[in-house]
Amino acid sequence: MTPTRKLIAKIGSVGTALALGTAGLAIFLIIWTLASARLGNAVLLPSPLSVFETYGELISDGSLAGDVRASLVRVIAGFLMAASVAVPLALILAYSRILRGLVMPLIALIRPIPPIAWIPLAILWMGLGDPPSYFITSVAAFFPIFLNAFAGGTSLQQEHVNAARSLGAGPGALLVKVMLPSALPMIVTGSRIGLGQAWMAVVTAELIAAQSGLGYMIQVSRLSLETSRVLVGMTVIGLLGALMIGTLSIIERRVIVPWNYPR
Amino acid sequence: MLHVVEGRQQPDPTESQDVTPRLRVEGVTVSFDGRQQAAVDDVSLSIAPGEFVALLGPSGCGKSTLLNVFAGFRAPSSGKAFLDGQPLTGPSAKCGVVFQKHSLFPWMTVLENVAFGPRRLGLQDPRGIARELLDTVGLSDVANAWPSSLSGGMQQRVGIARALATRPPVLLMDEPFGALDAQTRALMQEELLSIWDKLRPTVVFVTHDIEEAIFLADRVVVMQALPGRIAREFQIPFDRPRSPEVMDEPAFIEHRREIADIIRVEARKSFL
Repeated sequence: MTPTRKLIAKIGSVGTALALGTAGLAIFLIIWTLASARLGNAVLLPSPLSVFETYGELISDGSLAGDVRASLVRVIAGFLMAASVAVPLALILAYSRILRGLVMPLIALIRPIPPIAWIPLAILWMGLGDPPSYFITSVAAFFPIFLNAFAGGTSLQQEHVNAARSLGAGPGALLVKVMLPSALPMIVTGSRIGLGQAWMAVVTAELIAAQSGLGYMIQVSRLSLETSRVLVGMTVIGLLGALMIGTLSIIERRVIVPWNYPR
Repeated sequence: MLHVVEGRQQPDPTESQDVTPRLRVEGVTVSFDGRQQAAVDDVSLSIAPGEFVALLGPSGCGKSTLLNVFAGFRAPSSGKAFLDGQPLTGPSAKCGVVFQKHSLFPWMTVLENVAFGPRRLGLQDPRGIARELLDTVGLSDVANAWPSSLSGGMQQRVGIARALATRPPVLLMDEPFGALDAQTRALMQEELLSIWDKLRPTVVFVTHDIEEAIFLADRVVVMQALPGRIAREFQIPFDRPRSPEVMDEPAFIEHRREIADIIRVEARKSFL
């Protein structure tokens, strides 16, 4: 196939995907509109249009931007804290059999505890506000990142180690130039899952332990029966989550592990 | 400019009985846990500078294990290994290694794979060295490609270029063409001979292909299985540079028949 034809085919397939996606969304909105008209109760199910109007209000009075910022900061802080502990720890454990034996059983016991179960302790230790939210989001992001990075670290091929050593690589170069890049695809996969988990956890944390953010906004609007505000909160979470994970996928393909996606 | 010139200054290997062998093992035994028979049992072998030696034998005869001892990847259970008269302590950039497959770093471009060794050794202009070697193996065009986008034959040529980039006096090759189809394999053998003619490194070439061993090597060391020992050695007399026509000569066919007889007996032994 010539490059031009390839490009046309690519644009064509992107166009088809876009058209189908838009159609699916439109069908969903139509069903939603019909259902809310039939129900006739704005507290139980407001129409998409009124949710759209609420978007306008919350954007113009600046409160939506404030809530989004508060939640985003918590997610990113928690995610970064989790990643900066999980990745080095996973690679060290993949490298050392003794440390692995010491730590892995502990991890297996802590992992099944859902992030939400940590909230009481987090509030007791840190009070209300940002710190418990950082804690909860990092707990949520930690395990996917750690487990994937560990799998990446242990899947290192002996041929690559041998080849590097016979080319003059010492222990430092082995770790940085061979082990880390070899685990990188799995680290990125773990990060993408971890980011999604952190984003879900921040809402949970804010429902209970914070006084700002999208989760808090949903909670307050529920108490005052402003359901269209609840739906604004929910849809913003959906949109931003999809946007963040999509961006990370693009960065992954183009910048972090381009060799896994040869074009 | 060529990198490995050391082999050229050495006398012709067939006449050089009294120079220090480039590689030597003495009574080397390698046993694996949980196996009764040693993979390599009391093997002694000397390889002269610039010599091209093929280790030939059925699977399980310990030829790859012996190569791993030469490379420093595996310490012998008993016995000694020497490189240039010095005891071997581990892998070093003095021995370039070409693996059977899947050894290129997938996270580096072809050029960076080849430049990896020169970078580790702190040589001047690693990318320049890499470009030159890619040119030697005829792959300048794909310097910036990812290894995964290359064919098997191209990947092995990159593997050879990468092993040569540290200018090693020794090239260890572990069934490097074993995973290639017959046509590519024949082309790669000729390619290897022409590179070897230019650079003259000492080569230890592990294979289970009898014709490949005779076509390439100055000396064919036939190994036997269970336990892994040297069964017989053959000096291969054909002039260099060699062309594939040498395979039709009566002496070639005679060698092939003789070696095939030994291998058949050995292969049956480990088969039963």
